[in-house]
Amino acid sequence: MDLFRDCLDKQLLDQNKQRMGRVDGIIIEWPSDGQPRVAYVEVGAITVIDRMHTMLRQALLPLLKRAGALTDRYRIAWGKIHVGINEVRADVDAKQTPALEFELWLRKKVIGRIPGA
Amino acid sequence: MKKIFEIALGIVTSVGGFLEIGSITTAAQAGAEFSFQLIWAIVLGGLCVIFLVEQSGRLAAVSGHTIPDAIRERFGSNYFLFLLVVIGIVSLLVMAAEFGGVCVGLEMATGIGFQWWAIPVAFVIWLIIWKGTFGVIEKGVSLLGLVTLCFVVGAIAMRPPWSQIVHGVLPTLPVHDKAHYWFVAVSILGASISPYLFFFYSSGAIEDEWDESYVGVNRVIATGGMSFGSFISVAVLVLAAMLLLPQGIKVEHYSQLPLLLIPVFGKTGFWLFVASLGIACLGAALEITLEIAYLAAQGFGWNWSENQRPLDEARFSLVYTGTILLAMLVVLIGIDPLKLTVFSMALTAATLPVSIVPFLFVMNDKSYLRDYRNGWISNTVVLLIIGLAFVLSLVSIPLQIFGGS
Repeated sequence: MDLFRDCLDKQLLDQNKQRMGRVDGIIIEWPSDGQPRVAYVEVGAITVIDRMHTMLRQALLPLLKRAGALTDRYRIAWGKIHVGINEVRADVDAKQTPALEFELWLRKKVIGRIPGA
Repeated sequence: MKKIFEIALGIVTSVGGFLEIGSITTAAQAGAEFSFQLIWAIVLGGLCVIFLVEQSGRLAAVSGHTIPDAIRERFGSNYFLFLLVVIGIVSLLVMAAEFGGVCVGLEMATGIGFQWWAIPVAFVIWLIIWKGTFGVIEKGVSLLGLVTLCFVVGAIAMRPPWSQIVHGVLPTLPVHDKAHYWFVAVSILGASISPYLFFFYSSGAIEDEWDESYVGVNRVIATGGMSFGSFISVAVLVLAAMLLLPQGIKVEHYSQLPLLLIPVFGKTGFWLFVASLGIACLGAALEITLEIAYLAAQGFGWNWSENQRPLDEARFSLVYTGTILLAMLVVLIGIDPLKLTVFSMALTAATLPVSIVPFLFVMNDKSYLRDYRNGWISNTVVLLIIGLAFVLSLVSIPLQIFGGS
């Protein structure tokens, strides 16, 4: 498997086939006494910003933090990940994870209060 | 039989949804100032958009992916964010121009200043998206948009000089106002090759649950719909060349545009123009609003579909609500909708490479398209469009400065 091509940036679905974001990052661990191994995939706005150019990242981070637009990064163990063709599935319930924290907050506090939602 | 019905409906909705404020304005300006000489720009833009729309639909039908999906996956998050910012800003300006077009239509109908209509129009656009389904927006508004065929009827009724029209299909050099000639040509291309068209089309194919069996349907709809749509733009240009140019009227305000139809249809022509402007701009405003929300949702992997309840896709709903509010603010500030239209068309042309270059890579990706990848003809055309896009991006801003007025 080519991690960059087959996993990074792919649509991430949960165990109920609900969209829970994209694979924003891949964490590789390299123990001092062993081989490198893929440990987690990461989801979250901070991870996306981490991939930007340093100067852009340094300029954006404080602004986004002040605006409250940054959600925590969320890691899913590689063992729970199934890489398919142009999509990645995770054996988790998205609603129980921080990946949908903002979506659920928005549903409850804003969108859900508008008639007809 | 079902497929034939879908093809017919697809072509009809594409035709009805083709004309918008950018194509009306730029075609009318071209005809009023350069007679039939700029028909080639509409034809060229139409040909480009046929290929790009067909490819967007083919990608969606075969892979179940939209263009923004594929761009995020193949080009990474940084390029996607760059695309989101660039296309987001340009689309917002185009959206504000369309929004302004609806308000101007209402101003013409009622005599009440266009800014007063900003809030009611924003509410109506939001309500249609909030309560409506994709089918209502795609088919309902586009079917109403068939009123724009009045331009074609009007152009034929004027008994135009067909030989001059055919001559206009071939590019010729300007004899006067060279910078302005090229600026209008660039604006026509910007209005025709709008990224929102093919981004929205690929999202629509997913909304309509197209699969591999729709590849042929897609080809016919893209070719037929965009060809007939371009034909309406040519009709606007022909009317402007025959009615505005002899009177020395340059299009400097929307109130001049009903003159395209009044000589043909009498007083009814005024109302036909108002209806055409209002409905065409409303349809385009709905599509662009959704396109911005689709772009963000698909790139970030959120839940999205116009067929779901807003509650089930809160971030998607938030983006289109915010987009409508921002466009409303632009109109409320009082920026002249005509100037905004001309500027946003030139800006669209300037940013075309950002959205078109990825086509060359995505449409040759075996993991998405398997046996339906681009052949050498499609690839050659995409390369030519990319070349054209780079030329447009380089010349549009200088031309805006030197030939924009």
